[in-house]
Amino acid sequence: MSKEDLNATVTFYPKENEVQESEYIVEEITPISTTERLLDYNDQLKISLQNGINFTELLDTLINTKNSSELLDATMKLIDYQLDSSYLVYPQQYSRADYYLIFINRILEIHQAESVVLQSNEHEFELHHEYPGIDSLGYFVFKVLENNENGAYYVEKNTGLELFYLDFKQRVLRFNSRALTELLIVKYQDEITYEVLTQFTDYLLAIGDILKAEYSFDVDFNILDTSNTAYYAISDPDMPQQALDRLFILASETGHMLLSGAQNEAILELGQNVKMTIFQHSGFGEEARWVIAITDPDNAVSFFDVLGRYAFLSDWYLDNLNSLEIKSDPLYF
Amino acid sequence: MDSEQIKLADHQQATTILANSITDKIQYLQTLDQAIQKQDDRMVYQLINTKRYQTEVLQKEDVTEIVEHEQLVQDVNLEISEFLSEKLIKYINEIYPFFYFEKVATGQYQFYFGNWWGRRLFGELDVLNVAFKFNEDEFYKLSRAFSLEAEKTRFNSQRIHELSLQNEELQALIDNQGHRDAKKAELRARLKEMAQEKVMPWESNKHKEAKQNLIDEIAYLASIDERTNSAYQQIRQNEKRILELSKEDTLLGYEKQSIVAKFGDFANFQAANERLYRDYIANLIATKG
Repeated sequence: MSKEDLNATVTFYPKENEVQESEYIVEEITPISTTERLLDYNDQLKISLQNGINFTELLDTLINTKNSSELLDATMKLIDYQLDSSYLVYPQQYSRADYYLIFINRILEIHQAESVVLQSNEHEFELHHEYPGIDSLGYFVFKVLENNENGAYYVEKNTGLELFYLDFKQRVLRFNSRALTELLIVKYQDEITYEVLTQFTDYLLAIGDILKAEYSFDVDFNILDTSNTAYYAISDPDMPQQALDRLFILASETGHMLLSGAQNEAILELGQNVKMTIFQHSGFGEEARWVIAITDPDNAVSFFDVLGRYAFLSDWYLDNLNSLEIKSDPLYF
Repeated sequence: MDSEQIKLADHQQATTILANSITDKIQYLQTLDQAIQKQDDRMVYQLINTKRYQTEVLQKEDVTEIVEHEQLVQDVNLEISEFLSEKLIKYINEIYPFFYFEKVATGQYQFYFGNWWGRRLFGELDVLNVAFKFNEDEFYKLSRAFSLEAEKTRFNSQRIHELSLQNEELQALIDNQGHRDAKKAELRARLKEMAQEKVMPWESNKHKEAKQNLIDEIAYLASIDERTNSAYQQIRQNEKRILELSKEDTLLGYEKQSIVAKFGDFANFQAANERLYRDYIANLIATKG
């Protein structure tokens, strides 16, 4: 039997009353002998044991492989794995969510980009992520939803904030701008340094970059997108007049100047050739939207970086959320 | 016979005068044509406003004798203005780097103060007269902002202060709603009590008066409630107004800074505006423009 077939073995068994019912019918026709019964039991045990062995092989792969596609394959199988049967139950097990966590560490490790620490609970078989510099504030786990078997949310446990949604089957990764802002800009603002903040977002970006490159995931970096052509659509369908006027005043108080461009766009030079532009953008065939764009020579700065770096800009963004909020994919958030 | 001779002499004179006059005009137009061909803006300025040129540039005191031909080109004033605008705006850009020009129509230009967000439309450029036609309102605000500098206050400080105070009061009204509700309940309970009290005839006036007092107090509290109902909206309106006023102060701040950076103070700026024509012609002479 190939590995594939074994894994496909279904280990759901008839419930007891169903067994009795069928026995009753069978008994009438051809009674099953005790020997047959024992043999059948033994076969079921073998199947169950083999199922367990297959599981450990997948776990081996998950823990040790240096190959990205093997890693994803093993992870996806483990997430769906039915380990227990009515003949054999394993009392100590990791959860579906834990395999997501392990996967993140392993894929980063393969790409020499591991920065998050996978921690295990001493008494229970439960895992979580800790990030150096943030570990005293919170920790991260995956949250799987009962009605959605395809994906899971990466959640900060203390706040319940969902930072991103990861879906192996649809190969989708979606970052959540609201949760990222709420957690890292609002809650952690006075607790962590800008360095730690950027390290953490670099970690999140690395996940997206690798999933995109290795497995062609469809990744929406949202507010974390550092590319110059990332236009962050704000929630206000019209020109955010008041927010812009407030920015104009705030900028002047911090030695910056909000400029008016040739196309009536608002431009804020932030030094080191980093520029924030707010303008009406008409995408192809789409309705014109007001967007924020961050440009820099290296395509290395995102709107989120700017919020983390300049207190007057994060204050401005948070005070004007009703018109400025950067939207996340409504399918998932 | 006599009369015919007179007529003849008159006619000859008339012919001469008219011919001279026409020659003058032709000469005028030829000179203007040459000036335009040679891109001699200075000469064009001299021709289109001879008297001003004589007084201001050549410092002539008596210009009553000078014959003007300006009306000959009146119908092409806009085209002349368009022709002269290029060099003039280039010159102004150097002296007034904070004015940003925008073409409205042939020969017509308006300008903004600054390149910052919300910059104000500050006026129009009178190209033929080499003068700014400032927007009076905006110019007044700027000059006032300069004079307020001595008092270390900004153009809208007072108004912003008033609105902020009003908002504090309105907020207090909102915050005190709970207190007022409790007080009203108390007063109503007292009123109800009084209605059930047995009143002796000799006490009835006093009783009535006390009752009326309670009713008045409840009405007063209710009137405050009514004001509170519109308070949220008023607060928001005031905040909007405060934002506009702060924005204007910020704009005025940038304008002041620009003027100080280039001219030192407002008086120098105004002096430069007044001698713009002379300075520009002098510049054209110096650069042979």
